[in-house]
Amino acid sequence: MLSRVADSVFWMARYLERTDNVLRLLRTDYIASQDEILNFDWQRVTDTLSTKSETAMVVTSYHEALYHLVLNKDHDASVFTNIVRVRENARSVQDYITKELWQCLNDYYHIVRDPHTEDLLLQQDPVTALDTLLRESIIFYGTVEVTMNRGDGYTFLNLGKYIERALQSLDLLEMKWDIADEVTEPVSWKYLLYALSGFEFHTKFYRNALQTEDVIHQVLFNTQFPHSVSYSLSQIDRYFQRLKETSLTDNFKEMEFLAGKMVKDIQYTTVNRKDSVAVRELITATRNQILNFSHKLTTLYFGYT
Amino acid sequence: MPFSTLLTDYKAPPHVWDEMCDQQAIRSHYQVFLQSLKNDSIAELVKKNELAKKLFMSQGITFTVYSDGEGIEKIFPFDILPRIITATEWSIIERGIKQRVKALNIFLADVYHDQFIIKDGKIPAALILSCPNFMKEMVGVDVSHGIYTHISGIDLIRDSDGSFYVLEDNLRTPSGVSYMLENRSMTYRIFPGTLPKNNVRSIKDYPDLLLKNLMALSKRAISNPTVVLLTPGIYNSAYFEHTTLARLMGVELVEGRDLVVDNAKVYMKTTAGLKQVDVIYRRVDDDFLDPLVFNPKSMLGVPGLYFAFRSGNVAIINAPGNGVADDKAVYPYVPEMIKYYLNEEPILKTVPTYSMNDPEHFSLVFSQINKMVIKKTNESGGYGMLMGNAVTEKEVVEYKKEVEKNPRQFIAQPIISLSTVPCFIDSKIQPRHVDLRPFALYGPQGIEIVPGGLTRVALREGSLVVNSSQGGGSKDTWVLAG
Repeated sequence: MLSRVADSVFWMARYLERTDNVLRLLRTDYIASQDEILNFDWQRVTDTLSTKSETAMVVTSYHEALYHLVLNKDHDASVFTNIVRVRENARSVQDYITKELWQCLNDYYHIVRDPHTEDLLLQQDPVTALDTLLRESIIFYGTVEVTMNRGDGYTFLNLGKYIERALQSLDLLEMKWDIADEVTEPVSWKYLLYALSGFEFHTKFYRNALQTEDVIHQVLFNTQFPHSVSYSLSQIDRYFQRLKETSLTDNFKEMEFLAGKMVKDIQYTTVNRKDSVAVRELITATRNQILNFSHKLTTLYFGYT
Repeated sequence: MPFSTLLTDYKAPPHVWDEMCDQQAIRSHYQVFLQSLKNDSIAELVKKNELAKKLFMSQGITFTVYSDGEGIEKIFPFDILPRIITATEWSIIERGIKQRVKALNIFLADVYHDQFIIKDGKIPAALILSCPNFMKEMVGVDVSHGIYTHISGIDLIRDSDGSFYVLEDNLRTPSGVSYMLENRSMTYRIFPGTLPKNNVRSIKDYPDLLLKNLMALSKRAISNPTVVLLTPGIYNSAYFEHTTLARLMGVELVEGRDLVVDNAKVYMKTTAGLKQVDVIYRRVDDDFLDPLVFNPKSMLGVPGLYFAFRSGNVAIINAPGNGVADDKAVYPYVPEMIKYYLNEEPILKTVPTYSMNDPEHFSLVFSQINKMVIKKTNESGGYGMLMGNAVTEKEVVEYKKEVEKNPRQFIAQPIISLSTVPCFIDSKIQPRHVDLRPFALYGPQGIEIVPGGLTRVALREGSLVVNSSQGGGSKDTWVLAG
């Protein structure tokens, strides 16, 4: 397929996955702020989810935070901006993706622009607004599964999705770790799992009161948990293998090595999950591997300029 | 009259051909459709109108206007009531367009080779040489199967006596065919069951016919040549059309930056390396095709593309240089071309045209300017046009100065009252002026025209300007099977 098209499909999936993760996090944080935590720190959430370079946005209420992070058109990392990017990428490959997929993304765009969504988010029930948006990304994934052909485009789409998911899970784990202290730790882990849609799974799988080691195991290593780093990396490896037939041999071999190494490195790591320094080092190392893989993919497969 | 409640506001203007009404009577080919509307009230039509708007929006069938980085989407105004053409009318249109496109194609081959038509004194040499779209680079170049005008859009209008006139030929990169296709799929959503009941001919073969022609133009002897559609990109107002056609034909939609020329062959950059391209259906203007030969500032084209084309390694559709045949100053000579090349009488009429280069014509036109329209020979889309019946004296004076500067660039024609059709506007059925652009496909096996076309509507009451850039809309166009 055309390199430019592959590039756009890849980024379309990355922005969509990012949007999905941010929305889940905001939903959880909002509920947390309403439920049990006094003086929930919206400033920290805003800072973490904002573009790093820009002057800090000062927020004094959840209204302001949600507006800035979800609807602010001038904010480079807002959900709105990301959806515009998803759609612009989709527009440039409109002939390649299915009509159904295009229409689904077009609907997503119209919903995030709908004054009704803003009203729900800022004046009424933010959870309903966030659920409405989340539903659109679920429809996106369903539409991809049902309508897209399983050619290279589907592969690049999934590579984008799982690269972004692995990065988001790493970021989130690190972020929650930063804010957790001894008192808030158990609650903080709980919300981390909620934000990754993994709390129910945790109670079933670990059958234990929430332990830091178990949470780390789930987020980093559990191969049954769809938001775990391990799971995402094995999906990256699996999808990448599909490119074998249509790749230039040298390019494929170079990337295959990187993908294989990423998966095995985390699978056979000997890090003690109680050693927080070592775990943080593992997070950093894994993130660098993923970024390197993504960078190589751009150079070797999307290099059209 | 059984339709009286819906048609109370319908008053066709005098001295104008109305497609639905003959005096007060409904023409027979509109009877079946109106019968099916009989049970609908105005309120129901309003609902259908809203549904159509919603469908256009959700399907992203839009023009994009860019400001502040975020695309502003506008839907191309669509009128829900179809325009209906009888089988007899269509057979005249079809024969007329085939004849015309055939002659124009021979003219292009002639003008870029032996120029018999000039040598025989049928067309002045000065007219051709002064045409900005006469492309010297095409002289002596042989094109695949001798076809230049692979896709043409011929704009037709009807005078008060109902006869068809050609208003202009579009032989470069005519657009609008995707709206023809989308308008049809809108009709079956908002008027279920009416298409079969009216025995309307299908237009869905268009993409297949086009693809068949494009594949046949490949010069490499392979069974599955690579065909691409070259677009200027997502910021082009016709981008929706480009994606639609690429999708329907299953060909790659490429931008200039996706292509590269090596050793006089064109390749596209894919994830698996370079892949040779055989046929380019380009929606980029001649001037932007190749910065090495034409506009050196063009970012839309491909350096070296023209050389690859001249070397015969890639087919470019439509051929470069077609602008000399659809120049508005060449237009009055088309009937002469038909007689000269085909030895036939023209089937479709031509609007009398005055060359502003001729001092006699010049004074004649300005002496009765309120009956005239002046157009630039080299512009389309309704730009640079002066409608003599709708301007102030001051505007006329200013325009006259423009014309005097370079009279070759202007022609004038008497204003023809385009025919009217029923439209649903402001919750009323009202007459509006329309034209018709059928699309002719010229392939190695001959010329084919899908039965239909794009009917463009001047949405403002009394307006004769149908261009989408000037407040025009469109509607579905039915050709009845008989």
